[in-house]
Amino acid sequence: MAQNAVIFRPATIALILFFVATVAFFCVSAPRFATAANMENLLSGYSFVAILAMGQAFPILVRGIDLSIGAVVGFVGMVVFDLTLIFHVPGYMILPLALLVGTLAGVVNGALIVFLKLQPFIATLATLAAYRGLTYSISGRQLRPDLTTTAITDPWIVGIETYFDIGSWLGISKLLPMPWLPLSFVIMLALFAVLQTLVMTTRFGRDLYTVGGNYEAARLAGINAARVIICAYAIAGFCAAVTALIMVARFTTSTEALGTGMELTAIAAAVIGGMSLAGGIGSPFGPAVGAFLLGAVLLGLTLLGVGQFVQQIITGAILLAAVGYDRMLVLRRQRRLTANPADAV
Amino acid sequence: MAGMPIIRGVGLTKIYGNLVALTDANFAVMPGEVRALIGSNGAGKSTLVKILTGAVAPTLGTVEIAGEAAPLGNPRETIRRGVACIYQHSNLAPAMSVLDNIFLGRQPTRWLGLIDRRRQRREAVALLDRHGIDLDLDATVGSLPAVKQKEVEIMKALALDARAILMDEPTGWLAASEVAKLHATIRMLRARGVGIVYISHVLNEIFSVCDTITIMRDGKIIAESAVADIDRPRVVHLMVGEKLARESAQASHQKRHPRGTGEARLRAHNLTKRGVFKDVSFDLYAGEIFCITGLIGSKRTELVRTLFGSDRFDGGTLEVEGQPATFRSPVGAIARGIGFVPEDRHREGLMLNMSVTENLAMAMLGRFRRGFLLSRGRMVDAGRRAISILSIQPPDGKRPVALLSGGNQQKVLVGKWLNRAPRILILDEPTVGIDVGAKAEIYAILRRERELGAAMLVVSSDLEEVMTLADRIGVMVAGRLAAIHDADTTQMDEIVREIGGVAA
Amino acid sequence: MTVDDNPANDRRKFLKTVMLGSAALTGAAGGMFQSLELAGGKLGIAEAWAEGTRFKMAFIQWQPHTVPAAWSKGIEEVLKPQQAIDYELLDGQNKVEVQVSLMETLVNQGASVIFLQPIDSVALAPSIAKAKRAGVPVITLNIDATEPHAAHVEMNHYYGAMDIAKAMGAAMGGKGKVAILNAPPGIIIRDQRTNGFLDGLKQHHPDIRVVADQVADWDRKKAQDVLNTILAANPDLGGVYGVNDSMALGAVDVAKEKGLVGKVTIFGNDGEVAALESIEAGELTGTQYTDVYQQGRLAAAAATVLATGGVPATAFAQQSHLLMPYLIATKENVGSIQPSQRW
Repeated sequence: MAQNAVIFRPATIALILFFVATVAFFCVSAPRFATAANMENLLSGYSFVAILAMGQAFPILVRGIDLSIGAVVGFVGMVVFDLTLIFHVPGYMILPLALLVGTLAGVVNGALIVFLKLQPFIATLATLAAYRGLTYSISGRQLRPDLTTTAITDPWIVGIETYFDIGSWLGISKLLPMPWLPLSFVIMLALFAVLQTLVMTTRFGRDLYTVGGNYEAARLAGINAARVIICAYAIAGFCAAVTALIMVARFTTSTEALGTGMELTAIAAAVIGGMSLAGGIGSPFGPAVGAFLLGAVLLGLTLLGVGQFVQQIITGAILLAAVGYDRMLVLRRQRRLTANPADAV
Repeated sequence: MAGMPIIRGVGLTKIYGNLVALTDANFAVMPGEVRALIGSNGAGKSTLVKILTGAVAPTLGTVEIAGEAAPLGNPRETIRRGVACIYQHSNLAPAMSVLDNIFLGRQPTRWLGLIDRRRQRREAVALLDRHGIDLDLDATVGSLPAVKQKEVEIMKALALDARAILMDEPTGWLAASEVAKLHATIRMLRARGVGIVYISHVLNEIFSVCDTITIMRDGKIIAESAVADIDRPRVVHLMVGEKLARESAQASHQKRHPRGTGEARLRAHNLTKRGVFKDVSFDLYAGEIFCITGLIGSKRTELVRTLFGSDRFDGGTLEVEGQPATFRSPVGAIARGIGFVPEDRHREGLMLNMSVTENLAMAMLGRFRRGFLLSRGRMVDAGRRAISILSIQPPDGKRPVALLSGGNQQKVLVGKWLNRAPRILILDEPTVGIDVGAKAEIYAILRRERELGAAMLVVSSDLEEVMTLADRIGVMVAGRLAAIHDADTTQMDEIVREIGGVAA
Repeated sequence: MTVDDNPANDRRKFLKTVMLGSAALTGAAGGMFQSLELAGGKLGIAEAWAEGTRFKMAFIQWQPHTVPAAWSKGIEEVLKPQQAIDYELLDGQNKVEVQVSLMETLVNQGASVIFLQPIDSVALAPSIAKAKRAGVPVITLNIDATEPHAAHVEMNHYYGAMDIAKAMGAAMGGKGKVAILNAPPGIIIRDQRTNGFLDGLKQHHPDIRVVADQVADWDRKKAQDVLNTILAANPDLGGVYGVNDSMALGAVDVAKEKGLVGKVTIFGNDGEVAALESIEAGELTGTQYTDVYQQGRLAAAAATVLATGGVPATAFAQQSHLLMPYLIATKENVGSIQPSQRW
């Protein structure tokens, strides 16, 4: 099985072990970490981060990056806000519209990179500013200030923030208190299943790895590399839209600053999850685990009473360690991958 | 053989900026024909092949596949129409398995795009059996030795079941037994009516397996013939041209100075870099030009980079002017009087946005210092002198280097180092992409430096250049220095043969 | 302990007094600042708590800034002497999701009271609701939330702005043109302060016209640019109201540059040190000064009462507003503001 299979990669196993160890550590040392309420907090607060991180995995896989997904989240959130509170569009129409807007925003990113040949960093930095500016200019909160105190009540939207008492369903809650499962977590699992299958078992998935590993080889092999790249960014935009919907449901509103900084969290989760920023390695599994790992660390540290500046330092250290580990793997890989003409003679 | 060519290029021309890589080439391959394509480096062979396979779009001209006009610059389309290519540089995905690479981009799928793994494996196994190739389908391509990687590329092309296959130096890393297997496969394909283009330097192989031969030089197709109607010396003659053959004959009468003044400036003994080159030994003397030639990929550039300190070697010793040398970076090498003119002058040699004067002064700004400040006056004067000595056109020190022609840019690059009066000067492909006139000027500059006592090491793939310039010639094959000759006692075809590799 | 117990009743009465007292004070125009006797340790809380019980309280701020820092200091002053209370300042990092997550964490930890400066009034409402269900009272500072909660302590944006209007009009002689340098739309405080100002003008000085109401983003530099543009169109501008001190100080900069100091009446809002010093220098005409430390102390006092459980959070069916006493500081009375009160 090729190097990028999820289960067999040493980096992935290391990630899972590290995650388990971290959770175990906090369960023991942080008061109230091992409670149903805290688990619920973790799931409801970080499922959408995991979704965004999975979306970010795709541009990274094709050797790019998407700095604008936080802005796309804000933009889609504001679109939803406007549609429901100003135009009173029914929720069941807003949901697909929101997904469409996010996907199109991603397509724009991909198009800039493929057709204008801009570097992904630059292109998405530009769209980061553009989408954020667009969010401010369409902001219903500024057009109709009374809306700043109006909550969204559309059941299709608000319904995303529901919790399932699986403990009772399964009858476990008599034995130990189970967290209520948030719908956002279920959505994340479903999205994960779809994306992972896409990446591992379809030709499109193989094309992603090929394009990320060697763009020119992919092109010469007859792959429509341009289309593959645009699709990768479109998927990132789609995931950003899902994230936006979950967040808007959670807050029953949207702000102009929604999603600010989330692109960096997504990148951190992806890198901690074993994605190589050089492209061609990794799968959505890693970023998802990375997101929950970050969440567990932050919640655990808060419960331990560690100050928030120190928390940021620790998160930075984890990220540094992940990048360093990735770099070490890259060097090891390179040493093994170069041709050996001297030995062939 | 059927009457219609399986692939045909008409009037193909390709111009890259200032450089004309290909001029008005007309090329055709019939079904069931194995056509050799031969010429020295820079002759335009790779460009022609890239145009035919769609990797690159021509500036002028058209391509027809089986009589139909083919879209240009679109690899997908040409693949779809049954044209496969084994390129010189590896086009595999190193992190993926052999199986994935064989079907790169074309994996058989079921509904929804899910890959049909079983069918893929079945087809791959059948393919390997049919051609008698032994490959581990699950191995990661990147971890295989070059030989095996080449086999994967061949399998990838064969899996396409193409009507025409173009192979660019396919036997570079293959051992004799593998070459034989490849030739057997080629014969089988020919029998099945597949048209094959075979680019190679190795005359033996061409005469063994090819039906026809096309000879290129300086971007033009200069001769075509059936293999049966031509002999090796004539081929070489055509490859390097009448003028050069004459010149090289003349030049061989020119005074050569092998080993120059007899003072050894640099001694390399068993230099080795794991996985790159092995046991390279030679001496470089003051007052001589030592040319190292070989195929692309023989790792000459990698070798000279370690001499200059840009890279490190793993084994062996290096002595500069009698003292052992281990350079951690070019700074150390420069301090010992070594200069290096790199192959890629744009990326590694020149600051394109800066002026001629600034570039000329770059390597020795220290000399222009007055206290903390740079003396512009002295810089400009030194620049003016260099411009006149090197005949840089236009003679304007303020001109941004990017606006100069390729030849003049190279003169600036060489001039930058000559300003330092180096003891040892290493030049990597100094005249690639430069017109004939500028080439001659640069040769004159180098010869003058030689008279002044510099020791010069020139890496060159251009046989013409090597025969004109060298006092001694080294031939590097696949990371080893196979032979060293004195130029005045060597014939060109001997060199050509050696470059082609005396494959073990 | 039920609501009818005597100690509980005392505390409840105290809280009512605090509320009513504040409300009374805000009605007084140009009222003098009055320090409330907060008998911090004397409320008998200590007796109510069992030995070894610790109470956790935390303040989730918007992001680091002088105002929430001063609140936190005031809160700490009240809470620290009460040794059974653990107090923590948490940072919302200007992100709604961070505040929501922190709210949930605090509820899980069994916090007794949560102080909150919501980044968004609607977005934090679900979290406040959750806290209420868990029995944790939430006290918001300055920015209200749409979910009814235990208490809201604010700088008296509305009435204070009315008084500013009254004072400004008086300084301008009852007539003339006025410009407003405003905050970006969509923030509750902006509306409260603007509406208060407009209503105040209507009520006290109906002859004064508002000729411009432009956004200057809470920012001093932006305010300079905006005012320059306004002055170009209205060279006879008589007054400027900066909805916060930074913007008002920007107006002062422009006035100094154009030699209009003394000719244009400029009022700010907040009461920062820089503003007070500007008033003393005779440049800024006045501002609404609130003792932000005291605001923190007041919030903490309310918290202390709530924490004892004597008044459960769920008992607040309606929002209770604590409006901070304020002073319209002008050259005449700015000296009465002590250095320790300046922030």
